Amino acid sequence: MRVIVFVFAFLSLCQLSAVRAESVVVKVVEPYADMHTGPASEFPIFHVIERGERITVLKEHTGWYKVMTEDGKEGWIAKAALASTRDVDDRPLLLAQNNFEGYQGRTWEFGIFGGKLDDVNAMSVSAAWILTENIAAEISATQALGDFSDNRMWLVRLQHYTFPEWRLTPYFTLGAGQIRTEPSATLVQSGADTRTNDLLEVGAGVRYYLTRNFVMRAEYKRLTALTERDEFEELNQWTLGFSVFF
Amino acid sequence: MDARVLGLFLAGTTLITAAPVAIGQETPPPVIEPELDRREIREADIDSENFEIGVFAGQISIEDFSSSSVIGVSLAYHITENIFAEASYAQADAGQTSFEILSGGAPFLTDDEREYTYYDLSVGYNVNGELFITDSTVFNTDFYLTVGGGSTEFGGDSQFTLTLGGGYRVLLTDYFALRLDVKDHIFSSEIIGEEKDTHNIQYTLGASFFF
Repeated sequence: MRVIVFVFAFLSLCQLSAVRAESVVVKVVEPYADMHTGPASEFPIFHVIERGERITVLKEHTGWYKVMTEDGKEGWIAKAALASTRDVDDRPLLLAQNNFEGYQGRTWEFGIFGGKLDDVNAMSVSAAWILTENIAAEISATQALGDFSDNRMWLVRLQHYTFPEWRLTPYFTLGAGQIRTEPSATLVQSGADTRTNDLLEVGAGVRYYLTRNFVMRAEYKRLTALTERDEFEELNQWTLGFSVFF
Repeated sequence: MDARVLGLFLAGTTLITAAPVAIGQETPPPVIEPELDRREIREADIDSENFEIGVFAGQISIEDFSSSSVIGVSLAYHITENIFAEASYAQADAGQTSFEILSGGAPFLTDDEREYTYYDLSVGYNVNGELFITDSTVFNTDFYLTVGGGSTEFGGDSQFTLTLGGGYRVLLTDYFALRLDVKDHIFSSEIIGEEKDTHNIQYTLGASFFF
């Protein structure tokens, strides 16, 4: 499961490598903008930037922007305050919208889920690439730890969002992957082996756009493990989780 | 004859292609305008620091197997000013049970099985604050509570693990923080016989970078 950490690390590196231009200077056009001592609304306001003042935007942290005034004061302003500033040519700033419109225009989505695989606790992480407003390609890794075995699965799937223009939309998934079942220590002594099988998946779920860049998801999946025995092994997976999108 | 036709043809095409150039030269060259259409400021121009990568070390008390030092790594994504998601991975070597020590008998576990590793995926909630060292030395801080699930590999088995935690983060700069964490890892174990829920409490000190 170190893999998960590496995936996260890789994704964040990707973000790091985004090209950044020279310092961003903007002009306050609203009557004033509050400057907080930290990146959250709870932090006290220690300075007020007046209309017409120019500020340099230094960095962003969870929707808050660290800025520097012309006389060298540094503090944090809210996204809404920065969004209503203008650049030196009097054009409004293009900030990603953290609202439903932004949700509809998303390209990446990362999620964590908890639930049950048959009777066993299971946890998953997922990454999705939104191809069109209806279709997304997703990859997920799951670990399900039971009394008798440790199951790890990876799956690649396509998702179809039925009503992308609604906050609450059903969706359907179709996927394939693999499951690796490692029997627990007591069973190893009785001769059970670790085995890996191919896996097919059909599923349905609902997703709800919560707020900012959060989505809640509830899902049911029917998994078919293609075993070497005469019968296929059928598994039912229920999950509940949330994802963040960019 | 053929050569002459070709010559005429070539001359014609040269004239035609040359014509626009000639006209172009007659009109005055355009004044070099300042680059009016400057690139608009986009969000990508602003450095965002929502990921936090950290290392931590401390003590973990592994139920029935005494206390050991633990070392690990963590990666968090801060979603809002209050909520973050964090993945962590850590490792410890379990000690001996009291029984093993007192009886001097055969060990319960092999050295490999004594290796205690876990990962967890947690969601945390921050309560923001400030720490006043002196009048002018002030650090932003947050106290947080986390809940998560993961897996612990110990005694030759992996077990689903519920993780409850709390911690305190002091931001020495915008991007560098010191952290104190307390976490309880709860999983069911039957290593020493009867199956029971074990509580494995860990406290660690860590350092992290935002990027």
